[in-house]
Amino acid sequence: MRRIILTFAAAVLVAVGLGGVAVATSGGSTITVPRLDRAVATSFSNVYAQESAIEGHTGITPSSLQAKAMCDRGPNVTQSGPGATWNCLMSWSDPNTPMPPTGYGKFELNVHSNGCFTVGSPSSLIGYQTITDRRGRTVNNPAYEWDSCLDPASDDTPTGTTFPSALTVTSTTVNVTADGTVGVDLACGVGAGGCRGSVAAVTDTGVKLGTVPFTMTEQATTHLKFPTALPAGAKQVTFTATTTTGFAPPSPATLAVQG
Amino acid sequence: MSATTAPARGTTPRVRTARAGFSATLGFELRKLRAQWRTRAVLLGALLLPIPVAFAIHAQGNPPKDSLFGRYATTNGFALALLVLGYAGQWVMPLLTAIVAGDIFASEDHHGTWKTILTRSVSRGSFFGAKTVAAMGFAILVLLILSASTIVTSVLVAGHGDLIGLSGQLIPASQAWHLVAMSWLTAIPPTLAFTGLAILLGIWSRSAAVGIAAPVVIGFVLQLVGSMGSAEALRPYLPTSAYEAWHGFLASPSFHGPFVTGLIASAVWAAITLGLSWTLLRRRDITGG
Repeated sequence: MRRIILTFAAAVLVAVGLGGVAVATSGGSTITVPRLDRAVATSFSNVYAQESAIEGHTGITPSSLQAKAMCDRGPNVTQSGPGATWNCLMSWSDPNTPMPPTGYGKFELNVHSNGCFTVGSPSSLIGYQTITDRRGRTVNNPAYEWDSCLDPASDDTPTGTTFPSALTVTSTTVNVTADGTVGVDLACGVGAGGCRGSVAAVTDTGVKLGTVPFTMTEQATTHLKFPTALPAGAKQVTFTATTTTGFAPPSPATLAVQG
Repeated sequence: MSATTAPARGTTPRVRTARAGFSATLGFELRKLRAQWRTRAVLLGALLLPIPVAFAIHAQGNPPKDSLFGRYATTNGFALALLVLGYAGQWVMPLLTAIVAGDIFASEDHHGTWKTILTRSVSRGSFFGAKTVAAMGFAILVLLILSASTIVTSVLVAGHGDLIGLSGQLIPASQAWHLVAMSWLTAIPPTLAFTGLAILLGIWSRSAAVGIAAPVVIGFVLQLVGSMGSAEALRPYLPTSAYEAWHGFLASPSFHGPFVTGLIASAVWAAITLGLSWTLLRRRDITGG
């Protein structure tokens, strides 16, 4: 019994020791942005070409897609290592599926410590888990979700691919505060450099409520408050965002005044 | 005069001063292994267990997507065989080898036979060598049986369609056979590292229970160490990581760096554990029983 206890004590000691050495010597992860950029774009091209073949779209090959990815682990964290907060923005060209105005789709990654990762696709561009093949059968969509593994020794030079964050107006109505002013909620999506710019608010009666600047990191939300009080009789407010960094909404948001 | 007292040459058995050599000892060890029900049970298990496992996974309504190749395990035999490989490397293979390697020295403690063997029949060196070779040979044999049984069963149960690889590429069935077989074979080096660990723990603890269970537990601990983000620098050198070296074979372009690292790491682990084992055995006082 004593030996059994000793064995486990030794095992625990060895494990703690190894862990200590590892912590002391950890010199950065092999899971890096450039490696993910390349691995995600390559594997996406392969599975997307398979999906196109199933759907009967001709002329789509992995190389014809010219997929480019920019992977990002989120704001204020080291941009390497395993985790479930990785996102990749990817652009590709398929004449059958027009890209959204931003020019990219957002893919969500779960990266494991062994360098393997699962990618989840945006349904708006890739479709759902099952698709209909040319003969009308329901089959699995290979590009909906897929698994891949990183080569820890693969090329680690930056790909240079960057995509701006998409700025969105997240308010759905205009709420008047006690002092009679109004505000608007903004969200800045995944992307390089965050969002910077200003929002101008105009009522349906033509009264300007002011222009307010904003600066946000990527994956953040904020609330902007406009200086001028909402005049009586205004039923709608139109918010027009312009950005110097980030991708502004392609059309102004017109929201109804509550109450 | 004295000629009559001397026995005629060849009529009495010659006294064998030379102890039994390595090959004789190995033969004897193998006979002992063959006679053990436990050895037969492990071999039989390696042959038959993949069958219910393959059927059970194939019957799942929802494929086990959380594991690598689980996504297509219910519809593709190659993916099923690789899913099973992923699980087998976590604890099945260390356990299969430890069942024999953890007990092969400890059983002499259990039966109290150290004195009998080492004072009369064999040198410690050939005794250690024969037992080690027998344990490693058994580990390889059981892995080959497990691999063949899993691959054949998986393909018979879930079919042999084209496999989607780890870069999303389609791997034609003819190539998939080869890659899946190669992937299973990469489990041999880390399993031999665990054989060494089981031998060491069996000799040190003199208890078959420790020799068999502790390598599996240590395997889990090493997996935990490897999964910690801060221990990433250490990860490639753990025998448990070598069990995942096959991932690179299924990628396009394929990569073999982790396999080579795993091979070296496994060799070092085996050398250290066997070196320690031999030191312990050589210095052991067996006269006490």
